[in-house]
Amino acid sequence: MKEHITELLSKALPMVDLDSQFLFSELDSLGVTTILMLLSEEYGIELEAKDATPKNLKTIDSIVRMVEEKLKGQ
Amino acid sequence: MTLEGQIRHFAELTPRKTAVACCGRTLTYAELWQEIQQEAARLQLREGEPHAFLTTQDTGFVVTYCGIHLCGGVAVPLEASMPAERQAQIRKEIQAAVGLQASSDILFTTGTTGTSKGVMVSQKAWTANAENLIDRLGFTSDLLFITAGPLNHLGCLSKIYPTLMSGATLYIMENLKDLPAFFEVFRLPYARFATFLVPSSIRMLLQVARKELRAVAPKVDFIETGAAAISQHDMELLCQTLPHSRLYNTYASTETGIICSYEYSRYGCIPGLLGKPMKHSQVRIGEGGRVICSGRTIMSGYVNAPELTAMILRGGEVYTSDIGSIDEKDGMLRLQGRQDDVINVGGYKVNPSEVEDAAVSLDAIADCICVPATHIVVGTVAKLLYVPKAGATVKPRDIVSHLRGRLEEYKIPLLYEEVGDIRRTYNGKPDRKAYTKETP
Repeated sequence: MKEHITELLSKALPMVDLDSQFLFSELDSLGVTTILMLLSEEYGIELEAKDATPKNLKTIDSIVRMVEEKLKGQ
Repeated sequence: MTLEGQIRHFAELTPRKTAVACCGRTLTYAELWQEIQQEAARLQLREGEPHAFLTTQDTGFVVTYCGIHLCGGVAVPLEASMPAERQAQIRKEIQAAVGLQASSDILFTTGTTGTSKGVMVSQKAWTANAENLIDRLGFTSDLLFITAGPLNHLGCLSKIYPTLMSGATLYIMENLKDLPAFFEVFRLPYARFATFLVPSSIRMLLQVARKELRAVAPKVDFIETGAAAISQHDMELLCQTLPHSRLYNTYASTETGIICSYEYSRYGCIPGLLGKPMKHSQVRIGEGGRVICSGRTIMSGYVNAPELTAMILRGGEVYTSDIGSIDEKDGMLRLQGRQDDVINVGGYKVNPSEVEDAAVSLDAIADCICVPATHIVVGTVAKLLYVPKAGATVKPRDIVSHLRGRLEEYKIPLLYEEVGDIRRTYNGKPDRKAYTKETP
């Protein structure tokens, strides 16, 4: 899943360093929304504004965890 | 009436009321006025002396900006991500400027002409802009106005004036990245909230935060948009989500100031419709449908560019690059597009030639063209089509790293595609029209 999400996001956000340990600080509002929308669509999950926290978007691993938790909760 | 004069007035009238707030820091009107005076004393600028500073999204911006004006200087707020070389160039350019008016601004923009240049905005123009907004949008002292965009751009900078000149509260956010933090602001003890959002931010909120928007709907007095076209779909959806709020689409630019605004929540969601001119503004349509603006809000001219000024500012009128019409019956302005190649990315104006010049300076790129493209969230974005030199491998990240040191962040294309060649016109210029047809 991590590989797939990385590939998906790197295409949509080529300006962002997805390997960063401080990913949230690298993102702008467009980046945050793009991540929420792309992952919602790709995995059929509901990602909302309240999910766009610095903790959830800190690294690519924390993004993967957020998606896994959403999938579990369905 | 000046911004600083009104802040002083409210420092006496409502000293304990919050004037400006941002993440964790608040300044009352009394504190703000005191800090502005201290900043003016620290700066000690001569009358009409320009002072460039990097824009920060916090209370400090308001203090510095007003402090410069208070001592008669000229405020030159620069984009936070501006490359150091460009900053140095601008600082040199403004020091050589002649005829600067005291307490005015120089705002650097790409807007009307497609090239980056300094627009001189007088204090008189700012006051007229503020009065236009107070009159049309209804700023009052019980309002909390949220600004979530760059304060060196007209869209957000122009809101500092009506907010603080009405004795209201300004809440500064860096952007809308932290959406939970944006909605948290609505928990503050204010009866009325308002904000300015570019169309891409509205689309973003409608796509990922509609539930939260609905929850704060009763508190939203008005939302103003502008700087780029908003779609009919987004206008209608916002009207449904915020059924009791006043929703405006405004026509403005750094050169013209704030000219028209249309309340689409009241009169209907019609794309491109921007309403009647405000109290200090006039609009007419020139040859080929060119929008021409006049009135008290217009710029004084471009810094160190008399020829460019004479081309755009003629007989007290600003000749914009926008194409539009005015309805004979109701006198409302309707915009149809632009007559130049500038790409409007979420309200930021990007000159494709500037991007191409910077990109082609990367050794591994043989040729390139920057064109508008459609993005899932923002709508229109800049896309770079590039041809690598024979044997070279170029990844989008390499191009981004290269551009970062040369361009402001908002000018860096969001999308990239490697192609075999770049189509050119008979005289060798990039054939933008051919690509624009393919990627509207």
